[in-house]
Amino acid sequence: MEYKLRKAEPKDVSDILRLVKELAKYEEMEHHVTLTEKELLEDGFGDTPFYHCIIAEIQGEGSGDGPKVVGFAMYYFTYDPWVGKQLYLEEFYVMDEYRGLGIGSEILRQLSDLAMKTRCTGMMFVVAENNEPSVQFYKRRGAEDLSQEEGWRLYRFDKSSLIKMATPGEE
Amino acid sequence: MEHHVTLTEKELLEDGFGDTPFYHCIIAEIQGEGSGDGPKVVGFAMYYFTYDPWVGKQLYLEEFYVMDEYRGLGIGSEILRQLSDLAMKTRCTGMMFVVAENNEPSVQFYKRRGAEDLSQEEGWRLYRFDKSSLIKMATPGEE
Repeated sequence: MEYKLRKAEPKDVSDILRLVKELAKYEEMEHHVTLTEKELLEDGFGDTPFYHCIIAEIQGEGSGDGPKVVGFAMYYFTYDPWVGKQLYLEEFYVMDEYRGLGIGSEILRQLSDLAMKTRCTGMMFVVAENNEPSVQFYKRRGAEDLSQEEGWRLYRFDKSSLIKMATPGEE
Repeated sequence: MEHHVTLTEKELLEDGFGDTPFYHCIIAEIQGEGSGDGPKVVGFAMYYFTYDPWVGKQLYLEEFYVMDEYRGLGIGSEILRQLSDLAMKTRCTGMMFVVAENNEPSVQFYKRRGAEDLSQEEGWRLYRFDKSSLIKMATPGEE
């Protein structure tokens, strides 16, 4: 099956949200997705993009059908104070029925090309410890588990904690 | 791990103060200690913005350090307050960071203020492709 990878455009935000929800559903967390198309549009395609996406598209399946978005990767740049710029892979998903065609590998290749071009020294991402297929997908390609090797644990202050720490009235 | 820091002032300058800043810093400064001494930088926080596809913008606290001799003065708490203000102002729904699991003082500093250990609660593990793996995955000749 022919597919094409391209940079996301503003018109893609509804497909991006759809795929984000599909992936969340796979983790049984669909109701946690509160992001809207409007926020995705402002945050990704405004003056300062907060994220970037690569879109995977196949040609329509019937004659006359338009292209269909079947996968995506969402990424942004982070900064390691020891070595500099890093590429951060935030979300990476190919619809079940379109797996095994090499779309995932091709997306990773484009991300790797981009990392080289923008002089990033690494690509970072998190994987749920019980997600064996993903763990293998990444380890096969040389990914190191920094939680294992360096003992890093991911923490968060949620909004209510931020409000408690912020200047009163700043919310 | 000092020998692991290969970043240069030139890169910090380009990356932080060019057209697209890749990081931001808050600096903590004290007045000089002797008469005639200038201000002295004694601490900092390095942060940038990340994106959670479920809820949107997040503030990511990458580095946070106050020189030993200047701790206990409330500098750390004040830095966190300013970061929290910034998160509210830029409509971030959370602030994220990593802590080494054996760093008990830091773990307590953050937990006292309400931080949740997502590695504990949600099983997230941090992974990396280093440069040699990226080269292997990239288009040959792209490096």
